[in-house]
Amino acid sequence: MTTPAIASPGVAVSRPRGRLSRAWAVLRQVLRRRSGAIGIAILVFFTFVALFPDLLVGPLETAVTATGPSMAPPQPGYPFGTDELGRSILNLTVHGARISMIIGLLATIVTVLFGVVIGIVSGFVGGRTDAVLMRITDFFLVIPTFVLALILAPVISELFGTEGEILGVRITLLVIVVVIGITSWSSTARIIRSQTLSLKERAFVDRARVIGASPMHMMSRHILINVTDLIVANTVLVFAGAVLTETTLAFIGLGDPFAPSWGQILNSAQEAGAPGLGAWWYMAPPGASIVLVVLAFTLVGNVLDEILNPRLRGRQ
Amino acid sequence: MSGRYLLAKIGQAIITIGLLIVLNFVLFRMMPGSPDRVLGRNPNVTAEAIQATRERWGLDKPVIPDQLVAYVASIAQGDLGYSFVYRGASVADVLADRIWPTVILFGLGELIAIVVGVSLGAYTGWRRGGPIDHIGNGASLILYATPYFLIGMVLLLVFAVGLGWFPTYGMTTVGEVYSSPVNQLADYLSHLALPLATVALGLIGQYSIVMRSSIVDTLGEEYITTAKAKGIQDVSVLRQHALPNAMLPMATLIAINLGYVIAGAITVEVVFNWPGLGTLTVDALAARDYPVLQGIFLLLSVSVVFANLIADVMYQFLDPRVKA
Repeated sequence: MTTPAIASPGVAVSRPRGRLSRAWAVLRQVLRRRSGAIGIAILVFFTFVALFPDLLVGPLETAVTATGPSMAPPQPGYPFGTDELGRSILNLTVHGARISMIIGLLATIVTVLFGVVIGIVSGFVGGRTDAVLMRITDFFLVIPTFVLALILAPVISELFGTEGEILGVRITLLVIVVVIGITSWSSTARIIRSQTLSLKERAFVDRARVIGASPMHMMSRHILINVTDLIVANTVLVFAGAVLTETTLAFIGLGDPFAPSWGQILNSAQEAGAPGLGAWWYMAPPGASIVLVVLAFTLVGNVLDEILNPRLRGRQ
Repeated sequence: MSGRYLLAKIGQAIITIGLLIVLNFVLFRMMPGSPDRVLGRNPNVTAEAIQATRERWGLDKPVIPDQLVAYVASIAQGDLGYSFVYRGASVADVLADRIWPTVILFGLGELIAIVVGVSLGAYTGWRRGGPIDHIGNGASLILYATPYFLIGMVLLLVFAVGLGWFPTYGMTTVGEVYSSPVNQLADYLSHLALPLATVALGLIGQYSIVMRSSIVDTLGEEYITTAKAKGIQDVSVLRQHALPNAMLPMATLIAINLGYVIAGAITVEVVFNWPGLGTLTVDALAARDYPVLQGIFLLLSVSVVFANLIADVMYQFLDPRVKA
């Protein structure tokens, strides 16, 4: 593999002015690989769909505004057919992109934030703090988090209610975000901690300590900046997992019927008996969207991991 | 094997299970529908009646330690409480009815996936860059990106609804009278086929990806070059030199994975209406049957803790370098 010099962190990263151009350089490297380019193309497509659903298919159809026949196969006017209420599957799937992507994005932010803070503090502070935090992390790594999510979701709904919105996102969806966040930060924390442990022993951290930098300063200005690469690669993979988890939670009935994500559409299909009726058009569009998006995130995540992860670099 | 390592691992597992029980207890207190809160909503209920109810359920005692101790004591006796939905039935009985279908479905699914996934991963890693690697790895990635239930829906559409080869739901044909045990078994197997294929396919993607990268790593080691330099046949190098070491990460993966497999289990059972713990979970969730949900959570998480413990111990046997 020909690895240009920009791929070595610590050199380019320590110069703040070069950070943006470095991001471009990394993106170019991702695009140079076929799987990376395919992944980015899929993600650009779905991001566009998620940003402008109204432009593409008009407002979200509801039981009231639906005009089509019930459970009809693809036909003129309804390229992907209709559901049991006569809503266009194309309309639902396009709007589902926005909901699935927003939940995925928010859940990823929560997960990475938790994981990074706990990982850095645990690795940097060490001692008893480290021991306690890592026991908690191991606990969350071992328990079947999905089942925990099933129990947490109704509890959180009960505590915060199910009506209302925060920043334009319905509370029922935020419950899913919180549940995914609580249950999936642990592996990120593990990865960040182990990198922090090795960074802590480097000379530049010692120098900062000697000139009297506070632990807070060292963690935010020296450690955090040097684990950015890992965070980026990990974030993309966490996103893939978050979309999958959201889909699964929505499928078993924890989604919001009034804000249908792709998983929620598949849940409606299951409830309406679409598989038994042979209504493939009801399941194919949201199903294919999920697979494409998760696949794209996985491909990009793997490529980023190869480019940015110091342990894997040069393996190809 | 050092006994100290084993003891440390067992200690950790016990602590984890203890934490799980406490977590379950705390969640239970946060759940809606405590008897006194429900009664309190009725303005005609007197304070004495509420007090009597609180005493009857032990809610007048402090949460810690009295209620916690009572909870732990009943868990230790296998008393998980009573289901809201299956009136009068204890949670332990409800779970016992549903456990076998799930164990069979996932035990067999895991087994098939391990054999196929490991072989596929080893072969694609061995022939890295070749056409079979591209196809095999591509298929694995797509399977990995597909939620279990979606694989199930596709199989159901194609093989049950479309081609009519298999029944669409359940574990047995309703109302069927079997002329012989052989017929009964055949009926059971035809119901099992599609859910089993779904579980296996869902897992194969993951296992083969990990196995492939593990093989690729191992093949870069110097002892492999040495073996090749000695003129040992390619197949023997793979079988006797590369595979044993490359299998190591699989042991951990399979154990750690169990938690995620359970998530898949729940949805696959829903798609095929397989009467196991998964459908029970979804029914309990829809009916807000919290005691059953808690029982399921405790049962599954304790199983996963045990699986991890077994994997840790096995790792010691498999990899003599582990002396932690």
